[in-house]
Amino acid sequence: MIELHGVTKRFGTQVALASFTLTVAPGEIVALVGPNGAGKSTTLRILAGALHPDEGSAAIGGRDVVADPLCARRHLGYLPQRLGVPLSTVVGDLATLVATARGLPAAAGPSALTSYGLGRRLDATLGEMSGGQRQRAMLALATLGPIDALVLDEPSISLDVDGADDVREAIRAARRAGAGVLFASHHLSDVAQLADRIAVMVAGKLVACGTLEELATATGVAWDRRVTDAPIERIYRTLVRGLSRLQDAA
Amino acid sequence: MTGRALLRFDVASARRGRLTPIFAAGFALVSVGVALAGLSAGGAVVVQGFARTSVSLLQLTLWTVPLLSLLLGAVSGAECTELEFLTALPLPRTHIVVSRWAAWTLALTVALVAGFGAAGVVIGILAGSADVARYVALIGIATLLVSASLAIGLWIGIVARTRARAVGFAVLVWFVLVVGADLAAIALLSVLPAPAGSWSLVVLLTANPVDSARALGLGLFQADVVAGPTGAALHRLLGGPGAALVLVGLIAWTIVPLRLAGRRFARQDL
Repeated sequence: MIELHGVTKRFGTQVALASFTLTVAPGEIVALVGPNGAGKSTTLRILAGALHPDEGSAAIGGRDVVADPLCARRHLGYLPQRLGVPLSTVVGDLATLVATARGLPAAAGPSALTSYGLGRRLDATLGEMSGGQRQRAMLALATLGPIDALVLDEPSISLDVDGADDVREAIRAARRAGAGVLFASHHLSDVAQLADRIAVMVAGKLVACGTLEELATATGVAWDRRVTDAPIERIYRTLVRGLSRLQDAA
Repeated sequence: MTGRALLRFDVASARRGRLTPIFAAGFALVSVGVALAGLSAGGAVVVQGFARTSVSLLQLTLWTVPLLSLLLGAVSGAECTELEFLTALPLPRTHIVVSRWAAWTLALTVALVAGFGAAGVVIGILAGSADVARYVALIGIATLLVSASLAIGLWIGIVARTRARAVGFAVLVWFVLVVGADLAAIALLSVLPAPAGSWSLVVLLTANPVDSARALGLGLFQADVVAGPTGAALHRLLGGPGAALVLVGLIAWTIVPLRLAGRRFARQDL
């Protein structure tokens, strides 16, 4: 379970997130979409404890990420948009640390990397790996062990077709295991394929949230999941442009 | 359990860098160079014993060790703000800071012991083992200085947030500690009456880790022999509680900045 209630985050005078409320139930996948600067990464970074909210509360598995950060993070899988560890880090060492920190046997980390086809790269530094290998390694470690919540920021970035498949499979596996999944993506085909609900953000605010069909109905876009990815792009553009116009007018 | 795993991770990272062997080689070369540069009364080049080599190395140590440690600590501290993946693990942020400090302290201590130790073997063979305890004491003082300077550097890096700013602040702090504080001390002591000046001197020595290390070095090495009246005055001042106070002060220069760094990192946005 992932919960955000009235979360506001300011950077100086700029409001990055304004009274943001969203809940992701266990076994549910929610996608965050929106233009650059909409507040998607800020939302995810608050859940991961990288940023502290100015107002409101955020919780993982019922545990507040500010008041009880260690318990909240015990069952959180998080993949940041930036790497989040030095490039000089040896991936095998990092895997061992992640496994130990999550209360698993140390060998569970390297074996997770092996299951992602990275068994021969355990001694490599992250800087020595390709962008795709690095992203897969970090995904393997983010999803290591029993997790209640999986939070991913642009997980398919820099991945080839197989790597993107790995991401989709990891997300589905987390859902099957009962974790709530919240991910931000500009890849609308991923969003359409994976998400149970889509949360659309503009300028730090949640402007719409629902299933594709609900959003299609709300925006008057003809929707057929079997045919093409185009309708979700039309839904997205309709929502974002319409709201941008409203904001400009205001 | 996780604390140990984190320390192993950071020690492995510090060990993989090439800095430790480079520093060890540098310390060894300098030590051997200083030992071989001694001149006998007759003008012939001879190998200095441990006592004179230690005193000669002290000043060099006081300049180089804080600079290296402050810079390493500052860069490591600034790097903490890029550890978003690690900080999302169930690891207290203060542990991340302490682990980084411990790993680098260990790495630099190994470099000091290896470098000075290798030179010590050469000196022992060529000049005998008299006063080897003073040489060992120098390594101990240098280790305390490494520990304090790394802690200060980490704090600087975490506050500065970027490597460039952290390095800039670290160089500034190094200059203040090595030169600026002495100028302030001279100015202060010149206007204070003599009895007040003695205790003011102890306070001033405690207020600066580099001066604390210098005073301990000169005191432990019986500097009245090699540093003339100044050394004799210092030796008298630091007899008994004065030396203990300076030693405690030097240890506090590790604990306080490290706590401040940990608290700051625990509360700040990445």
